[in-house]
Amino acid sequence: MAHIKVVRRSMRPEEWTDLRFEWLKRHIYAKKYEIKTLQIRDARQVSEMEYAYYEADYRPLIKGDMYFTPDGTAFIRGDIVIPEDMREQELWFSLKTAAEIIVKVNGKYVGGVDPNRDRILLSPYLAPGTEKLHFEMQGYNRSKPDDERNPESLSVRGCRQIFEGAYLATIRHDVLDLVYDLELLLDVAKCELFNEDYRAFLNRELNNALNFIDFEDDDLPGLAEAKRYVDEVIYANTDYKGSGDVALIAHSHLDIAYYWRRIHAVQKNLRTVLIQLRLMDRYPEFHYTHTQAYTYETLEKYYPEVFEELREKIANGQFEPVGAMYVEPDCNIPAAESLIRQCLYGQQYFREKFGKTIHNCWLPDVFGNSWILPQILKKSGVDYFVSNKMSTWNDTNRFPHNNFIWKGIDGSEVYACVPPTHFITWNMPSQIQENWEAYQDKNTGGQTMSMFGYGDGGSGVTEEMLEMMKRFDKLSIMPKTEHTTAEAFLEKNLKDNPRLSKWDGELYLEMHRGTFTTKANIKKWNRKLEYKLREAEIISTLRALAGAPYPRETLTACYKKLLINQFHDILPGSHITPVYKDAIADYEEIDEKLNEIIGSGEKYFNSLNFTRTWLTFVENPHGDSTRYGRKGYWCIPNLPPLTSGEIRRSAGTAKAWCRSFENVVETPYYKIEFQKDGSITSLYEKSEEREWVKGDFNKLKIYEDKPGVYDAWDILPNYKDKEYPVEVVVPLFLSEKNDEVAVFETELKVGNSSWRRQIRLFRQSRGIEVENLVDWHEKHRLAKVEFGCNVLTREGVCDIGAGFIKRDTHQNTSWQQARFEVCHHKWCDLSETDGGVAIINDCKYGVSFSENTMALSLLRATIRPDPTSDMGVHRFCYMILPHSGSPVEANVNKIALEYNIPIVKADVSCQNDFSGLFLQAMKLSEDGSMVVVRLSEQDGRRGTLRLPKAVKLLNMLEDIEGESDTVPYGPFEILTIGIPLA
Amino acid sequence: MKLEEYIESVIRPKIQGDGGEVRFQAYTDGKLTLVFQGECSKCLILDRCLRWIESEVQKDLGMTVNVCAVRKKPYFWDK
Repeated sequence: MAHIKVVRRSMRPEEWTDLRFEWLKRHIYAKKYEIKTLQIRDARQVSEMEYAYYEADYRPLIKGDMYFTPDGTAFIRGDIVIPEDMREQELWFSLKTAAEIIVKVNGKYVGGVDPNRDRILLSPYLAPGTEKLHFEMQGYNRSKPDDERNPESLSVRGCRQIFEGAYLATIRHDVLDLVYDLELLLDVAKCELFNEDYRAFLNRELNNALNFIDFEDDDLPGLAEAKRYVDEVIYANTDYKGSGDVALIAHSHLDIAYYWRRIHAVQKNLRTVLIQLRLMDRYPEFHYTHTQAYTYETLEKYYPEVFEELREKIANGQFEPVGAMYVEPDCNIPAAESLIRQCLYGQQYFREKFGKTIHNCWLPDVFGNSWILPQILKKSGVDYFVSNKMSTWNDTNRFPHNNFIWKGIDGSEVYACVPPTHFITWNMPSQIQENWEAYQDKNTGGQTMSMFGYGDGGSGVTEEMLEMMKRFDKLSIMPKTEHTTAEAFLEKNLKDNPRLSKWDGELYLEMHRGTFTTKANIKKWNRKLEYKLREAEIISTLRALAGAPYPRETLTACYKKLLINQFHDILPGSHITPVYKDAIADYEEIDEKLNEIIGSGEKYFNSLNFTRTWLTFVENPHGDSTRYGRKGYWCIPNLPPLTSGEIRRSAGTAKAWCRSFENVVETPYYKIEFQKDGSITSLYEKSEEREWVKGDFNKLKIYEDKPGVYDAWDILPNYKDKEYPVEVVVPLFLSEKNDEVAVFETELKVGNSSWRRQIRLFRQSRGIEVENLVDWHEKHRLAKVEFGCNVLTREGVCDIGAGFIKRDTHQNTSWQQARFEVCHHKWCDLSETDGGVAIINDCKYGVSFSENTMALSLLRATIRPDPTSDMGVHRFCYMILPHSGSPVEANVNKIALEYNIPIVKADVSCQNDFSGLFLQAMKLSEDGSMVVVRLSEQDGRRGTLRLPKAVKLLNMLEDIEGESDTVPYGPFEILTIGIPLA
Repeated sequence: MKLEEYIESVIRPKIQGDGGEVRFQAYTDGKLTLVFQGECSKCLILDRCLRWIESEVQKDLGMTVNVCAVRKKPYFWDK
């Protein structure tokens, strides 16, 4: 006999409750008066506060009309007389929309509507006796709604929306009150994390409560009895006890650019802030946190009246600035100095405008955090680090802590909070219970943090979330909750907590590993401009010491623009096409301004604080070599630290220094066996009598790269499953040779793309440089260059901008397996104790290690969010550097600095070279009273900086903390000193 | 301005601004075929956008066209 599954087709009691709940919601509005006088003007935002209009004037907007256009902004206006029967009543504005609309009534910003809320309270903002209302609205619509985690908003995605009508309304608070009760209780009833018996109790008693109401009568007789039943039977039941202690922190995650451009974030931020301010008016107990000094800046600049309100709410403690940084940057790729400037400019703003130093770093969504960060935070007045990603997004291992101490590369420690659940929640009991259950430091960490508020594109907290919160104490089944500020939570639970565990290492995110590589041009510009800013500041400072004006405003503007573009969806490459175009335009503008600042001179200037001894390409139209398409010559500058001088080409005449026979080339250093594609099958170092190659070496590899919906973000470990052939179009040939360099060139074909490799061998350098010119037209491909080294080691060494990190090259544990692709900066290295191979790059960040092989990630070809991502021409270089001893003994870091910092002309010099440390930055202090010198120990050594006279000892915010002429430093320490101007 | 150039230079940036992508494919006998990618490829209300493109073409180029959409979904949405 066939088994027949019993399926219940009749309505369950829970469904009957749900049905009546929906009926109840229909009665929230007591009266609705349709506003039929609205007019609309469609536009498209072209820059901050500038719009291109589709029509010359407004047109009527009537319910049922289509409104909004692709990438569109709409301006809506209208005048109405308040109906007599609604005057003297609590008046609301109601508009259900998929767009994000800022609403101004009679000249006052009254709030915002968006997919997460559809009404605004008007009465408190109207003058007594007001009879007429003038509406001004600005709306912005996205096909990707403000928050796609809100299921309701998913159903209304699309560029063209149907106007559902706008209304003046009054509300039945007795209905709304019960709606919120039911919202809360039904969430518990449906959540399997709560006690099964209690949920059965709820289902039974909610049915009983709703039985009091006569839904066939629009007045809803029995409503008061239902409410009383909920209070006296459901809330009064304390037989079921929950456990836990959860701190509820309100915030809104606001991506400055992502599926929208930076210019749109100005209004997204206004709407978000405005909504929170209006909630604070109604709920005095409501506290809200808001990050990114940049967003405060735009509010102050464009909406000063709202900013003034914000300032008042900060003063009274309701609105809490968090996150010391200027924006929420990516924390893998930026240089140490960039992260310092995020703190410097962020804190400077918060201090100046609000009189506050922010003691926390608030980065809920960044894709992993560099080991150099704790020191930078600690020295920027930041004691606490908050980020959700590792706990909620790791794809392999569960990060073991939520409240803990994070120890940085130099030994600095900050308190860290990695909340157990997502940074976007809507404050429902089920989410709070989930947070508590996932919390791993129940016995040591105090309370757990649960963030709530819609976000990604702002929006934040809703009335509903606050109404839920008012009811939590009535439910004995829930964990204990406390709505508090970020600062109060962190100080209460982490500060001086002796029981916290410690994490010593980077906070590697086991996801989004593709963001080290996606949008290669952005990474290249970022690297170039980080160093160019360094150069411009050093030169400007030295000129200022000689009496020239210091271009502070331009330098700060350039820095801030670079910092904005280090936002965690810009620099990592996870954004739409226009965001990429904006970034490139910004980079070009910064570059031009910095070129003007740097200017020129008679002599070459060495901005490094050590003698430049590495073979360097110097651009010169009369040169006999070509690099990056520009003429020049190779020479060893031999320029002393921080001085300017002449550079002379060595008078080499040894044309015979490089000999080739068939596929074997011999130089003063090597005997190299090439393949036609430029890969190397043997790299024999003559002086060391050592072979460096074991496996594919300098071999271009093309892999299938289909990571799924997080296309721009992820590389999956299966990428190696499918490899595509690389075709040799022009086999390797000698294309250029002079007394310093011999260039071997090959042209390859990869799918639809051409790939030219120029391999440079040098008379005076152990380095082998590979320049790549790629016309890239692939989809779902990852290009890597692999280096199988004749090296036995279990550790790969990676530069991380202010020191180096050692990472395991084997895959013994799931933690090691998960780190199959990691971030590095200028160089990576595989070494034995007496030698190894380093790969130095000029713009790449992704690298993988597997036993004796390291593979640099070169290009990707992703299609979401940007179907055009990475298409077109790419030029980049890397250098293969076999060396003796360890990478530190071989000065790999110094060589990488010389490789990345081009030599420029400027007639300046500095008396002190601060030797032993890397001169990371030199600038005039923000108050103009000192020369600020930032020095970074990058080799893992201890020492003492001895100076000719006493200097001010500064933190990274340029606060004076002491004075001395001798400054001891530890491994990987970053020092900031101030030399007072005479 | 030719129709193809109009789509590429005027319509496309706006669609890209919304996380979508559109490319000109063909124009024959009043039928304008456009390929939609990105967010557009799975938009439930793409028809509204097609009508808008028709009206924009009419307004800016004075041409009456019937826009036909080819949706090119990325592999991860192609279920």
